[in-house]
Amino acid sequence: MFKKRRIYKLCASAALVACAGAMPATAQEIIKLGLSIPLSGAAANWGKGSEWLCNEAAREIAQEGGIKVKGKVYNYSCVAYDNKYNAAEGTRVAQALLNRDGIKFIGGSLGTAPVKALQSLSEREGVLHMTTAWGSSIKGPKFPLTFTIMNTPNEITVPLIGYIKEVNPGIRTVALLNPNDASGQETEVVARKAWAAVGVNVLSSDWYDRGTTEFQPIASKIAATKADVVDLGGTPPSDSGLVFKELQAIGWKGVKVVEVGTGAEGVIAAGGNAADGVYMGAAVVFEGAQVTDKQRKLNEGGKAAIGESLNAVQLGFYDSVKALKAAMELAQSVEPKAVAAALPNVKFNSFYGPSGFGGKDTYGSVQQILVPVIVTQIKSGKLTEVRRIESAEMKARK
Amino acid sequence: MQTALQLIVTALQIGSIYILFSLGLTLIFGVMKIVNFAHGQFFTLSALLVAALVPWFAAHGYGVTLAYLFAAGIGVVTSVLLGMLIYQFGFRFFQRDLAGSFILSTGLVLLLEGAFLHYFGGAVRTVPPLVSGNVNIFGVNLTSQRLLLGLVAIMATGAMYWVLSATRFGKAMRAVSIDHEAAMLQGIPYKRLAFQGFAVATFLGAVAGALLAPISVITPVLGSDYLVKGFIAVIIGGLGSVPGAIIGSLFIAMIESIGGFYFDPSVANLAIFVLVMVVLLVKPNGLLGSR
Repeated sequence: MFKKRRIYKLCASAALVACAGAMPATAQEIIKLGLSIPLSGAAANWGKGSEWLCNEAAREIAQEGGIKVKGKVYNYSCVAYDNKYNAAEGTRVAQALLNRDGIKFIGGSLGTAPVKALQSLSEREGVLHMTTAWGSSIKGPKFPLTFTIMNTPNEITVPLIGYIKEVNPGIRTVALLNPNDASGQETEVVARKAWAAVGVNVLSSDWYDRGTTEFQPIASKIAATKADVVDLGGTPPSDSGLVFKELQAIGWKGVKVVEVGTGAEGVIAAGGNAADGVYMGAAVVFEGAQVTDKQRKLNEGGKAAIGESLNAVQLGFYDSVKALKAAMELAQSVEPKAVAAALPNVKFNSFYGPSGFGGKDTYGSVQQILVPVIVTQIKSGKLTEVRRIESAEMKARK
Repeated sequence: MQTALQLIVTALQIGSIYILFSLGLTLIFGVMKIVNFAHGQFFTLSALLVAALVPWFAAHGYGVTLAYLFAAGIGVVTSVLLGMLIYQFGFRFFQRDLAGSFILSTGLVLLLEGAFLHYFGGAVRTVPPLVSGNVNIFGVNLTSQRLLLGLVAIMATGAMYWVLSATRFGKAMRAVSIDHEAAMLQGIPYKRLAFQGFAVATFLGAVAGALLAPISVITPVLGSDYLVKGFIAVIIGGLGSVPGAIIGSLFIAMIESIGGFYFDPSVANLAIFVLVMVVLLVKPNGLLGSR
């Protein structure tokens, strides 16, 4: 009796397997996109927003009919792991994504230290790696499978500082403050050069550890330099707000800059009216005539999911998914190396509009997304766009 | 001279919060001989509730000061209740067990941090200023808000010191921290005292959180940053010593203030860790710790 049942079951299973093999080539397949992002700790919201945007871009692509490669239709699925914004966890995440899950495409990674840990494995194992990490040390011909999907200090600093000098011609001196990690250190080097190039003398350059809760002592030191400008480089928004608040309490008045400042809400929430006048180079404005319906809706969705407006770092994850789709369709392949070879030639619609990849003059190879630098300023508690500087390379291609 | 005065006032402001925080840590160690790594989470819960409830009360027609007082009350009471619950179902079984309490409190940190992130979200929260403007005392600039909250913190520390040194409850607690078996032989109810001590320690952490909320940005991980400083303060001062916790906290605040001004915050942090190593080498039980 039991033997008979077993035989029937075996026959049924064999029939199912045979049917699956004979299914049409148009059946949809899933490509997993790995994400190495902070999902706990102080940067958790950046990670949560990034994951939400990856899923949102994947959903849009699925709605539009998926990715069509050689008659097959593929869709994306985002797989996120918490890198806790540090190298040790970044290594663990790299192992889990690449060796355990067998992922061939990193849809996005965040934080220079964990990204370096992931890159050491992804390049060796032939995995295509899209990242928002700012460090220029992760790019170059040595890393052909790594692509940066947001503006970094190299793209932002020169146009931003040029604009600030243009509208504040009287500035002569600057004091710099950056977080003491890979992102902060690389930002500082670029900022120093850019200020010197416009004739502004760097009076001091200080470091603080992420997680610092009291900024009064460093604010006192910065105020004592009597610098015309305070540039907080890669300092996160809420820390920036606290520094400006303390500077205001001491009586310092001058030009306030957060070069790679990504979110105005944090600066305003922490700094109050001391945040007024702050120039930022990586913030995104979601109000005004220049904002499209799609951008507004995307931000509303993000805000509902994470409790605050989306920022440029998170938006990189959205653009990454769109760029990967364009590259796979151009290459007509889902092999990471073939897709990487196609990425320098793709044209796709990013969150900011038509985009592509460039940066050969700066990095030695085409690895940098080309999106405009949006110079913003906080005015009366609101973020406003004061200038949009198109990428010269992108302009030349038009 | 003016710079020196500014740095001292800054250190006192920073130190007043550290003192309240580390008093809780040292009290728990004194009575139960355990280190509660989840102490920062009670501090965070109180600050998060203040940051979430002040706008809510303000939106319902209460003035900012009244809204803050209500929110601070709710924050402190909720934190203390959570502390009591955790004691009854957790720490009660790990008294005088350093390894067991370490594992339990580390697990609680992860659990509570995850819960805060889930329920309060990861976005930074702030509390509207209770009082506006700056004051200038002998050429030293500071915000009225910091001055007010610093004074409240100093008064709370003074009150706690008085309770521990002059009341029956305080004396019983000190007796337990010196020798709990001898204290029990004298009729001091150790179990009840341990429970009350844990609740008082949680209360101190929660008060520190509520006081910090209007002058900082509140995130679900705020407590972890303060835990490191608070723990260093009690190590320097001597685990279980109340005056030691005060001295240790002021030491750290001084280094942060002076080191942050003459060098930078990173160097100041490094100096704090070097100081701990030196203290542990010279006086392994801390400056005022007993063997």
